[in-house]
Amino acid sequence: MGLLKGTPINWLFFDKDAGLAPVIEQAKQAGLNVAEIASPPAGVAILPGDWPGVAPMARGGGASAGPTGVPWVDTNSWKIRLETARRPGANIWVDAPPKGARISAGSYRTAIADAAAAGGRWVISLDAQLAAGIADAKADALATWKDIATAAAFFAARKDWPAYLPEAVVGIISSFAGDDEFLGQELLNLIGRANQQYAVLLKDKLTATSFRGLRAVIYADAQPPAAGLRKQILDFVSAGGLLITGPKWGTPPGLPAKEEHPRYAARTLGKGRLAIAKADPDDPWVLANDSALLISRRYELLRFWNGGAIGSFLTVAPDRKRAVAHLLFYADRGPDHVSVRIAGRYRKASLWTPDRVAPRAVEMEIQKDAVELHLPAVSQYAAAELEV
Amino acid sequence: MHKNCSRREWLLRTAAVVPGAWLAGSPLSRAASAPALPVAVAKCKTYDASELVPTLSKMFDQLGGLGRLVNGKTVGIKINLTGDTSYRLGYSLPGDTHYTHPQTIAATVHLLGRAGARRIRVLECPWSTADPLEEVVFRSNWEPRDILGAAQNVEFENTNYLGRGKKYSRLMVPTGGYIYPGFDLNHSYADCDVFVSLAKMKEHATAGITLSMKNCFGLTPATIYGSGAGVDEPSVLPSGGRDMVHSGRRQPSKSAPPEKDPKSSRDGGYRVPRTVVDLVGARPIHLAIVEAVRSMAGGEGPWIQGSSAVSPGVIVAGLNCVNTDAVCMGVMGFDPMADRGTPPFETCDSTLRLAEDAGLGTRDLKRIEVVGTPIVQARFDFAALRRERSANPRRGRG
Repeated sequence: MGLLKGTPINWLFFDKDAGLAPVIEQAKQAGLNVAEIASPPAGVAILPGDWPGVAPMARGGGASAGPTGVPWVDTNSWKIRLETARRPGANIWVDAPPKGARISAGSYRTAIADAAAAGGRWVISLDAQLAAGIADAKADALATWKDIATAAAFFAARKDWPAYLPEAVVGIISSFAGDDEFLGQELLNLIGRANQQYAVLLKDKLTATSFRGLRAVIYADAQPPAAGLRKQILDFVSAGGLLITGPKWGTPPGLPAKEEHPRYAARTLGKGRLAIAKADPDDPWVLANDSALLISRRYELLRFWNGGAIGSFLTVAPDRKRAVAHLLFYADRGPDHVSVRIAGRYRKASLWTPDRVAPRAVEMEIQKDAVELHLPAVSQYAAAELEV
Repeated sequence: MHKNCSRREWLLRTAAVVPGAWLAGSPLSRAASAPALPVAVAKCKTYDASELVPTLSKMFDQLGGLGRLVNGKTVGIKINLTGDTSYRLGYSLPGDTHYTHPQTIAATVHLLGRAGARRIRVLECPWSTADPLEEVVFRSNWEPRDILGAAQNVEFENTNYLGRGKKYSRLMVPTGGYIYPGFDLNHSYADCDVFVSLAKMKEHATAGITLSMKNCFGLTPATIYGSGAGVDEPSVLPSGGRDMVHSGRRQPSKSAPPEKDPKSSRDGGYRVPRTVVDLVGARPIHLAIVEAVRSMAGGEGPWIQGSSAVSPGVIVAGLNCVNTDAVCMGVMGFDPMADRGTPPFETCDSTLRLAEDAGLGTRDLKRIEVVGTPIVQARFDFAALRRERSANPRRGRG
C-alpha cells in the first residue's frame, strides 16, 4: 500500500473469490476506493481489453504481420473511443492484464498510454514476475513500478486533455453491434492502422454537428439506413462530402461519374461524391485502405516517418486554439528520428513525454497548412501539444 | 557536341544505338565498339527552379537539344522512389537523400513539355503497393500537382502491377540476356517512344552503385518479380520486394520468361548487375539523367547502416546510359573501369562492365566526351567517404 502513496491510483479492484480480505482492509484504511471488478462504480465502464503492443509470433522470434504488412498491433484505443461514443460522460477503463512470456517496463508504459491517449484508463495489473519482484523489493521491479506510477500521474495531471475533441477526416457510421459488430468494430481498429484520423458515429445518435469537419463517411452496415439517417448522410454529400458505402445502400442518388475504380462505382451528388462498393464490403482492412485512397492521402491529418508500429489520435480543444496529437510507438524499443507532419496552421509546439515534468524541445518546420515536427528520441509515447 | 560526329549524325546514332549495339561477337569486341556519346555535367547547388531549370536546359542543349528526341513523342520517365515512403534518413526529406527529387522531376517534365513532348508519363514501381503514384508521393510530402502541372499531358502511373494496361508487355533482351531472356512489364514501358531514366546518384549495397541503369531494376512489377508474386500468373496486387531477383530463390510467375539458367550463381552481387543490364537491354534508355544536388553516401536508402546525407551539387545527363554512368562514377571518385573486388564493387560485378561487354556503351572515360563542367571540377568524393566508413564503420547517419 505504501507504493500507492502519492500516486493518482485511487481504486483497488479485486475478483470476488480472490481471498484478499486483509488487503482490502488495508486499502480501505489507506483511503482507497475498493470494488469488485465485476461491479464497477457508477459512471465507470470497465471493458475487457487486449494487452496492447506489437503482437508476438506464436513461436517467438519476431512479430506477426498484420494486414497492414507491418507488425500486428493490439490496441484498446478504438474500444475506448467506441464506448465513449456509446456512453458520453462515462469513465472508460480497460481491463487488459499483461500477456506474454516477457513483459518489459516499456510495455506497461504502452498499456497506460494506449488507454489514456484515447481518454480512458488502463486498470493497472502486474505480471507475476513484476509483482513478486516488488514484493521482494527488488530494485529493477521497483524501478518499473515507479515508471508505471509516473506514467499514470502524467495522464492524471492533464485533466483537460480528455475533453479535447477528435479531429477526423472520416466518420464511421454504424451500430457497431449485432450483424454490424465485426465489420464496424474491425473497421475502427484498422482504419487507425491505415493512418486515418476517424470519428465514431453511432447511427442512432447522429446530430447536426456529427459531420462537422469530416471529408467522408463510411456506411457499411448490413441494412440500409433509415430514411432520416439517409437524408442526413446525403445532405453531407450534397454539401461536398464523400460517402463510401456498399450495394445495400439501395438505389444510389446522383449521377454516374467518370472515375474508375476496380471495387467502387463513383457518382456525384451536389458538391459531393459517392463511392459505392460493387460487392458487399467484407474485409475491413481493404475497406479501410480503400477509404484512405478514395478520400486521398492529401488530406491526411498526421503523417509519419521512421515511426515503426504507430498509433495516433489527433484532438483539438473546444476553442480550437490548441491541439494535442497523441503519438504511440508500440514497439518495445522507441524509434529514432521520427518526423510527424500535422495538418493545421500551428505556430508553437511542445512535446510531452511521461518521463519528464517539463516539455521537451522539438524542432518544428512550418509548412503550407501543416507543421512538421522532428522528434527527439522517445520511448512508447509522446504528446505534441500545438497552439495556433 | 561530340567532336567526331555532326549533330545530325549523333541524333541518328542515338536513335539506333541500342539495336545497333547488339552485334554478334565476343564481349571484348562488343566492348571495343560500344557506343560513346557525349555526357553533360553541371554543378547545381539547389533545387530551386530558378537554378535547376536553366541548368538542366543548358545540359540538354549541350546534348543536342531535347526537341529532336521528344517532339511529338510519348515520353516515359522512370523515377526512383526506392523503399517504403515512411523511411527517412534521419529527418532528411526523401528527395534530399534517396528519392529522385520532385523538383528535378518537375523541371525535367517542364523541359520535355517545352521541347514538344506530346505526352509525358512519370513511372515507378513504388514499394509493395498498387496505390496510384500520386497517392504514394503524398506520403513523401510531395505535391503531385507540381509535377502534373509542369507541362501539358502529364500522367503518373504505378508500374508495380498491371496498372492501366490490359496485359503485361513482353520486352525481350536482344542479345538473349545474362539472367533473363526477357521481362513482362507494365505496359508503360512499351507504350512510350522515348524512355528517360531519371535517377539519383548513390552507392548501392548489392550493386556497388545505383545510377541510370540500376534505376531500371525498378521496372520489374512485384506482381511477377516480387516476393509475393503469383506462381503461375501474376498476382493481382504487388507485395514485397524483389528478393527473387536478388537471391534467385524462386522464379518469376510462370507466365513470364523464366531465368535462362536456374543453376547459375544465386549471389546477389552476380545476379543484380546482370539483371540490370538485361533490363536496360530490353528497355533501352534514350536519356539518362542522374541527379545529386543532394543525395546520400553509403547506400541506396536509409535502411543502410552508416549512410549519411550529402550535398554533391551535381547533375549528369547523357544519351547513352553506360557512358552517363561511367561519368557519374568518375564524379563520385570511383574508377568506372573497376570490377569485382575494387570499390565500389567489392562484392559484386560491375554493371558497367557487363553493359559494356553487351555492347550497350563504353565505360572508358577516354572515349567519352564530357561537356559542361569537367569531372574533376564536379567531383564529390563518394569514394573517399567510402574509405572513411570502412575505417570507421560506426559513423554516419544524419
